[in-house]
Amino acid sequence: MTTVMAIHDFLHFYRRDGPGRLEGMDTSLGTTNQQAASSPPASAAALRLQGVHKSFHTNQGPFEAVAGIDLEVGTGEIIAFLGPNGAGKTTTIDMMLGLTAPTSGTITVFGKSPRAAVEAGEVSAVLQTGGLLRDLTVRETVMAIAALHGARDRVDTVMERTDITSLAKRKVSKCSGGEQQRLKFALALLPNPRLLILDEPTAGMDVAARHAFWETMRQDALEGRTVLFATHYLEEAQDFAERTVLIGRGQVLADGPTSRLRAMTGGRVVSATLPTDKPTAAALTALESLDEVSSVRLKGHRVSVTGPASDDAARLLLGELAATDLEITAPSLDAAFMELTGEKP
Amino acid sequence: MNPTYVRIELTRQIRDVGNLMFTIFMPVLMYLLFGNMFGGGGEAAGNGNVKFYIMASMAAYGAAVATTSIAGTAATESLLGWGRQVALTPMKPAGFVMSKVCVALIVAAVSAAAVFALGSATGAKADDWRIWTVSYVVAVLGSSIFALYGMGVGMSFKSETAIGVASGGMVFFAFFGNVFLPLSGTMLDIARFTPMYGYAGLVRWPLLEGAGASADAPTDSIWLLVANLGAWAFLFALLALWAVRGSQARR
Repeated sequence: MTTVMAIHDFLHFYRRDGPGRLEGMDTSLGTTNQQAASSPPASAAALRLQGVHKSFHTNQGPFEAVAGIDLEVGTGEIIAFLGPNGAGKTTTIDMMLGLTAPTSGTITVFGKSPRAAVEAGEVSAVLQTGGLLRDLTVRETVMAIAALHGARDRVDTVMERTDITSLAKRKVSKCSGGEQQRLKFALALLPNPRLLILDEPTAGMDVAARHAFWETMRQDALEGRTVLFATHYLEEAQDFAERTVLIGRGQVLADGPTSRLRAMTGGRVVSATLPTDKPTAAALTALESLDEVSSVRLKGHRVSVTGPASDDAARLLLGELAATDLEITAPSLDAAFMELTGEKP
Repeated sequence: MNPTYVRIELTRQIRDVGNLMFTIFMPVLMYLLFGNMFGGGGEAAGNGNVKFYIMASMAAYGAAVATTSIAGTAATESLLGWGRQVALTPMKPAGFVMSKVCVALIVAAVSAAAVFALGSATGAKADDWRIWTVSYVVAVLGSSIFALYGMGVGMSFKSETAIGVASGGMVFFAFFGNVFLPLSGTMLDIARFTPMYGYAGLVRWPLLEGAGASADAPTDSIWLLVANLGAWAFLFALLALWAVRGSQARR
């Protein structure tokens, strides 16, 4: 129940109000966005997707992986692409990079076609499935890709930046998942791209490696690159992105500042069993009258109160209302998210 | 095409000892085997002797297998997602194909050189040094069409076994291409349309000038051999480009 409530609250904040406009999205997102807003929209857009669809032919018939995505990313924005596996994130990213062509709709990267932007070195990516040759050394891998970009002068800088200089002579097959990911990040930095796309960059990393990776990313973001990253970790979106695009079943479900998303995690659910010998209606009224309670739900004699004021609700329930079996839980946004995107946890 | 990229690729192939055994030592062994199967092989044949005929055939087979298997590694690379990584650079699919073909040709050149060196040391003879040179150069350059074949098959099958499939196919092509044993009759009629027939015929052209190895075989015109090579080169190029394009999309 609480998860459903969380979704409605979330959607209330983010519900789309016509193409490109967002209800509840104010202009004070941050300095980067203000900069973007002050320049003409055409030149400010790092990335623009209009009515993008992508269908695949499968044995079970046609499958629509991306079902109409409109998105605009301004220069300098850091944006999270949040969605469960199979939401269409990677397919959308592939189209942004010109690896696959959309079935319909248009994509421009700095006003160019994705392939032209790749060739100009303006966009680069850490691909989830984009692999490495296991029998090359780390340095050979960087050298090979640098040669193709004509960026041999950046090899040392980039290896330094991603902290792989000490691994230079190691075979890729002997590198840990985190080390391989740093190598892929180094490859992505070689053309010195203005737009950096990261597809689940920390997939398969342990917590320490994940933190180290984002630490490197943070330093990099200071250079004013536009960054779009896909993730299914809510925490990563919250820690790193100014704006979050929630994607599910191939569509944008919500799009807005991540701070709104973060505010959602403040709410808790207090549940308790009301005494059976008293009418519940009065208890519900009392609970609803508390400040900052967003919802009160009753199932049998079990009552659930949602909102940031969990202490007040708990006090009331245990004291005046003589309720038993009190439980206070933080609503799992992951679960809320699953519901929202139609995935079963 | 990018020289640094080609050099790194080549280093990689040289480190793969297993593949080198297959592409260099096997043709050498096969030359020794076939060369001694037909008696001494010292009998005259065209502008040289039978040993030269077998040497040229095995060098052609070795070079073709080398290019097939090296280029087939593109399939493994693409499975590992390297094709997608490369697709994020300015290098185009045609550049990727060219680099692979270039590396494959270098290994093919080494493979054919090994067979020719052994041949010259064990009694292969031709009337003129130019016969050696032209035969060798045609063997190496002509093997490039099998690089396209290896890449095309490897990437279409999208599995680790693709290289095995492509190389296995080469044994079949070599047999039906009149490479291992001289064919005759209906078999020879069919052989004229198979991919190795034109290539092997051109490698042996300086020696035989189109004459058949078996007594009743008719003489081929150089244009038939060139047409065979050209047609297959075109088909394999289409297959390779189509397969590389498809491999960049995620699976």
